[in-house]
Amino acid sequence: MSATPEAPVSVPIADLDSDDLLGSFAEGRRLVGTRCGNCGQTMIGSRVVCSSCVSRDVSRVPLPGTGVLYSFTRLHVGGDGVRAVGYVDLDDDVRTLADLREDATPLRPDAPVELVVDGDAWFFTPVTGA
Amino acid sequence: MAEDAYVISASMIPFGKYRSSSYVGLAVSPLIDALQRAGVQKSDVDAVYVGHSYGGMMTGQRITKEIGLGTVPTVNVDNACSSGATAVHEAATAIAQGLIDVAVVIGVEKLTQFGGGTLPLSPEDREVKQGIVMPAVYAMRATRYLYENDATVDDLALVSVKARRHGALNPFAQYRQEVTVEQVLAARPVADPLTLLMCCPTGDGAAVVVLASERARHRLGIGGAARVAASVLHSGQVQEGFRDMTKPEITYQSARDAYAQAGIEPHDLDMIEFHDAFSIAELVYYEAFGLTEKHSAVALLRDGRTTFGGDVVVNPSGGLLAKGHPVGASGVAQVAEAFWQLTGQAGARQIEDARWAATHVTGGGTAGLDHGACTIHIFEAA
Ligand SMILES: [Zn+2]
Repeated sequence: MSATPEAPVSVPIADLDSDDLLGSFAEGRRLVGTRCGNCGQTMIGSRVVCSSCVSRDVSRVPLPGTGVLYSFTRLHVGGDGVRAVGYVDLDDDVRTLADLREDATPLRPDAPVELVVDGDAWFFTPVTGA
Repeated sequence: MAEDAYVISASMIPFGKYRSSSYVGLAVSPLIDALQRAGVQKSDVDAVYVGHSYGGMMTGQRITKEIGLGTVPTVNVDNACSSGATAVHEAATAIAQGLIDVAVVIGVEKLTQFGGGTLPLSPEDREVKQGIVMPAVYAMRATRYLYENDATVDDLALVSVKARRHGALNPFAQYRQEVTVEQVLAARPVADPLTLLMCCPTGDGAAVVVLASERARHRLGIGGAARVAASVLHSGQVQEGFRDMTKPEITYQSARDAYAQAGIEPHDLDMIEFHDAFSIAELVYYEAFGLTEKHSAVALLRDGRTTFGGDVVVNPSGGLLAKGHPVGASGVAQVAEAFWQLTGQAGARQIEDARWAATHVTGGGTAGLDHGACTIHIFEAA
């Protein structure tokens, strides 16, 4: 009679230790992503499991600093004055919520945008001349 | 469904701000009224389902104990704005499976406890940590919708104007004053392009419906009822990359399943209560429910085909925009409206000869999901 293996011990994921979206990489300071070594899916933030294939073979990667603005709003509530936020589709098909700054180039959907890091703050801004 | 389930009564308090009422205070009166109108004794009740999001521990039991309705299972359900509709779904499913004969469903929420502002979301969520709020999500949906469609902010305002016109006829609505397009556009900006009058108000409310099996319905000798022709609950599916915010797949898929369950087509519906938490949502859901082709929702609205006298009356109650949106109560209140319309109890807002009604609520702001939950019901006059 073959012995039934002992029930495995599951361990909690310390996701609160690594929830910062901005990280330092050889490429410089970039948004933190996670790439699955099994199926290749890239995800925003630090993850320990792939949401597509459920593999735990994942690694921390820098996300591209450029992308396209899917949509945006200027938020008038929440106590920060007027705050522009939007969804940016990064060049590797990862979507992130982001603060936006606009200068000479007004915000519009489908506009090319790029990451700007200022101290611990980060935001996206329209690519000048695009 | 294996066995038919019926809504046999409905009661609710007008949605509004009731700072002197607790969750119990909000819910006990409609609970007593709904049981009385159904001709149901406490001993007839087989199970209680209670939808709420912010009521805290044992909200259902705290309410039912006030009238000594105990012993039977009480299930507290949280699915954000879909909490109440999820509770209806659980009750209808248990009856359809032949497990129970009579179920009481309570939807209740007290948003004035937060003292105003946007709905509190889970602080564990990635985008919530970044400062997302529900108006911003819908505003981004609106920005993209206006960009892709031949639609303007006037159309967003027109949704609110229609909602308020309907709400003016509804004694259960939080807002009963009509507004003009100009007033909507001139209201305080919340999240561009949405103004305050394009956003549902915060408030308190409670609604109760009683569901019964065919067997119990005959035993109780109830007259007018609404047969549950479809009861569908879907959860959101994560997208790490691109998502078309103007085509919320959770509602498309839930609507497809609901029509299949009911065996009807979109044009059969006499009324729909949509989750119009923000005015943009109504336009998006016309398309998701197959009332019209993609990119033609505004024509339906502008031509008056979704108000009284049109093809299908959308949000005859005034919807979330005018009736109000006490999160966990909304899904049950929608079912109450469908029941009243299908049984001829809707007073000044009665839709003539209404036979088919649909109710729809989504739930939740969660990073990576369109919505966390979507509940759709279809009812037939019985
Ligand atoms: Zn994978």
